[in-house]
Amino acid sequence: MHLIRNFSIIAHVDHGKSTLADRLIQMCGGLADREMQAQVLDSMDLERERGITIKAQSVTLFYAARDGQRYQLNLIDTPGHVDFSYEVSRSLAACDGALLVVDAAQGVEAQSVANCYTALEQGLEVLPVLNKIDLPSADPDKVIKEIEEIIGIDAQEALRVSAKTGENVDELLEELVKRIPAPKGDPAAPLQALIIDSWFDNYVGVVSLVRVVNGTLRVGEKVRIMSTGRSHAIDKLGRFTPKSVSLTHLAAGEVGFVIAGIKEIDGAPVGDTITTESHGSADPLPGFKQVQPRVFAGVFPVNSEDYEAFRDALAKLRLNDSALHYEPEVSTALGFGFRIGFLGLLHMDIVQERLEREYELELITSAPTVVYEVVCTDGKLLHIDNPSELPASNLVDELREPIITANILVPPEHVGAVLQLCSEKRGVQKKMLYLGTQVSLQYQLPLAEVVLDFFDRLKSSSRGYASFDYEFSHFQPAPLSKLDILINGDKVDALSIIVHRDDAYHRGRELVDKMQELIPRQMFEVAVQAAIGSAIVARATVKALRKNVLAKCYGGDLSRKRKLLEKQKEGKKRMKQVGSVEIPQEAFLAVLQVGRK
Amino acid sequence: MARELALIPPPLALYVHFPWCVSKCPYCDFNSFTLHGALPSGTYLDALRADFEAQLPTVQGRPVVSVFMGGGTPSLFTPDDIGQVLQMLRAALPFAADAEVTLEANPATVERGRFAEYRSAGVNRVSLGAQSFDPVVLKALGRIHVPADVHRAAQELHACGLDNFNLDVMFALPGQQREGALADLREALALQPAHLSHYQLTLEPGTPFAALPPPALPDDDLAWEMQQECHAVLAAQGFGQYEVSGFARAGRQCVHNLNYWQFGDYLGLGAGAHGKVTDAAGVIYRTTQLREPRRYQAKPVEGLQRRRVPADDLPFEFALNALRLVAGFEPALWVGRTGLDLQQILPLLQKQQARGLLELVGDRWRATEQGQRFLNDVIASFLPGEISQATPVV
Repeated sequence: MHLIRNFSIIAHVDHGKSTLADRLIQMCGGLADREMQAQVLDSMDLERERGITIKAQSVTLFYAARDGQRYQLNLIDTPGHVDFSYEVSRSLAACDGALLVVDAAQGVEAQSVANCYTALEQGLEVLPVLNKIDLPSADPDKVIKEIEEIIGIDAQEALRVSAKTGENVDELLEELVKRIPAPKGDPAAPLQALIIDSWFDNYVGVVSLVRVVNGTLRVGEKVRIMSTGRSHAIDKLGRFTPKSVSLTHLAAGEVGFVIAGIKEIDGAPVGDTITTESHGSADPLPGFKQVQPRVFAGVFPVNSEDYEAFRDALAKLRLNDSALHYEPEVSTALGFGFRIGFLGLLHMDIVQERLEREYELELITSAPTVVYEVVCTDGKLLHIDNPSELPASNLVDELREPIITANILVPPEHVGAVLQLCSEKRGVQKKMLYLGTQVSLQYQLPLAEVVLDFFDRLKSSSRGYASFDYEFSHFQPAPLSKLDILINGDKVDALSIIVHRDDAYHRGRELVDKMQELIPRQMFEVAVQAAIGSAIVARATVKALRKNVLAKCYGGDLSRKRKLLEKQKEGKKRMKQVGSVEIPQEAFLAVLQVGRK
Repeated sequence: MARELALIPPPLALYVHFPWCVSKCPYCDFNSFTLHGALPSGTYLDALRADFEAQLPTVQGRPVVSVFMGGGTPSLFTPDDIGQVLQMLRAALPFAADAEVTLEANPATVERGRFAEYRSAGVNRVSLGAQSFDPVVLKALGRIHVPADVHRAAQELHACGLDNFNLDVMFALPGQQREGALADLREALALQPAHLSHYQLTLEPGTPFAALPPPALPDDDLAWEMQQECHAVLAAQGFGQYEVSGFARAGRQCVHNLNYWQFGDYLGLGAGAHGKVTDAAGVIYRTTQLREPRRYQAKPVEGLQRRRVPADDLPFEFALNALRLVAGFEPALWVGRTGLDLQQILPLLQKQQARGLLELVGDRWRATEQGQRFLNDVIASFLPGEISQATPVV
């Protein structure tokens, strides 16, 4: 066990995590040069394009160190985005150390800070690494200072590498085996294996990546997943080098995969503990949580005939994404679809994109909403993830919205704009620290405001320099109202939003104006109204179209007239019918476009 | 049963296209070409003869209700040329006693005194492209004539007994105001035409106006106001609207155009001409001639394309035409012209009836006032692909 090193790489998107991982694999001979495909660890196309890792994929390498020993290095991959902070914490829990990789030109970003704190809290040895030192704009001394000031660890000894050219990566490997401690654990104790990640394979069912903390996993043995209480026999054990290699057992300290005939991803949740059926551990490992979706949106197929295909696609995605929650939703405007729960906005983007790209579905998504806590007058507590389900105001005693704690890092010259943004978004400042080249801000912000357009606004108000990380904090009472949109007197369920009372009027006004702009003139006048309860707060009118008729049609070429009419008809097909009014799909996203002056 | 009904051939009209103009107007999307040099009338007439002889067998023996000589500018051809064409047609096909024979004319290309000669050659109706009486607007439209040309032409038409003439008048023209549109219409009516085609200027794809719209075009609301007021004036002056843009004094509706809208047959002769012919078995064909005059003259027979109209297209093609008529159509017309059962179109009609766009008056289906305004929405619902949705699946 003393020759095992379990570690993660903590890095901001684009700071070179994947390139470094590839380089480590290559230098340890995990893959022949001709097998090296750039960025092996990010296996999905989508991840490669976005430069982020969604599902952790990990690898075991063998390194012949200068001390003559052969070390087993388990590189445990971590998802690289704020939406996946729980998954990150479980990956880190499986490690004894971490490489904090910082771009020597760009410096420290908030996301690395948050993950680094998680690592430090869990007692990991953190090795600072400056990457991209081959870049002319690299400024290692400045970045070392930043790491010390912002994160508060000694970075004088930080390794200066270039994952791209391979410069100093051999030194990094030496430092790694020297400074990261070997895992502790008792191979003879009752089995406790931490599930780092689970995914679904079409042939073998669920595959789980585990770190054996205590005891030993053996092929054929009966094991129990502690949160579900279900038992399974182990069919196969192994490790990824990155090719998969079968093993008969995995002992304490080791990392590898387990296949145990589990059919559903929920059967092996991330963070859960595996133990043996007989003489098992009494206690699970600490830190297990059921992940809660925080952001919800109604998603509907553009063509109603695609509903079945949409349902099947969601079921397939769910196989590999336990954070994805969905249930059928029927909208009077948008028809049959699903209300889908996501961890956050990025998760939503990814799911939407996969549905559209891999399953070729044309979808329309209503404005995302957060989960509200509703205390009813009869004392009942409800969780509402769809504004149209909010009870009438006379039945609501108190409405509570989710609050997050946000950590923001921003260069001092942009701090003013960011402070203004946070206050506009109803943020409450908790901390503000000037740390040399960066300002560290901590805010409590309503999640609903963040969901709306916070990321984009933060980036634009800091010329792209601010970085951001958040975690859910608590629910807090707020004066909130439901704002409904009525088209010719019909309430359009998919357009209802919950807004802060102070914003209600101008949001209503803006929304109505935006809708007026987006709804084309049609045969009849269209009235667009915004209402809170029965009070109309804003109104706009789309004037009736005067006519739509071909002035001339004689015995000549019909094909051009036909094409014109087919084009008109095709355009209408893509619209949604509310009563007799045709509404273009963009109008359903208008909610997202308002409120950003 | 339906097939047998179709064996009664629909009325036959003849369209003859003359593709040249003195200059091409920037809004025009007809198959017309600017004339460079001398008019090749001999060559063109030879081509027309070959074209006609080749197509003749498809309509052999059927009586002709009308001839329309359109363009381009047919009046660039001499009365003698026109007479030769008409003689050729009359020699091969039986003409109805009251057959309507129309010549399209540009007010600027007719020399004073020649209408009488066209009349002697067999023309009994003339269609004049007046468009506007505002010299500034005419210039903006690229027209080569001046208002006085139209006055002179109209006087001449009356003088030689060709009082059955049409004036084309456009509205919503560059820089035009409501008063301008009304003034144009009044001036046209003062010339005592029998028929008036009143169009809104349309920016047709592929024309110079579509690429670069002229400045100061009236907006939709103003254009609508012009249309409403002009229609009121037309009605007050005894011009009944019988089609989207067609107005006529009692008994002076255009026989030739009515035949298009009633889904009748027509032989299409000349460069770029389109035809529609129903064969003895009730199958409908559409024909297209080569557009470019020199290519047409080289291959007037081999260049003709003939395409069978799929039965699925018939509801749309029929509706596109028949619903333009203010009076609409009787179910018998659908059955007679297409050979298909009324059930093929009835659910589509009823769907538009439910939307308030069509109505059944007596036994005629016609567009309601709203339906006339939004006729594109109505006829688009007859496009193939709608049938399966509108007809309940049994």
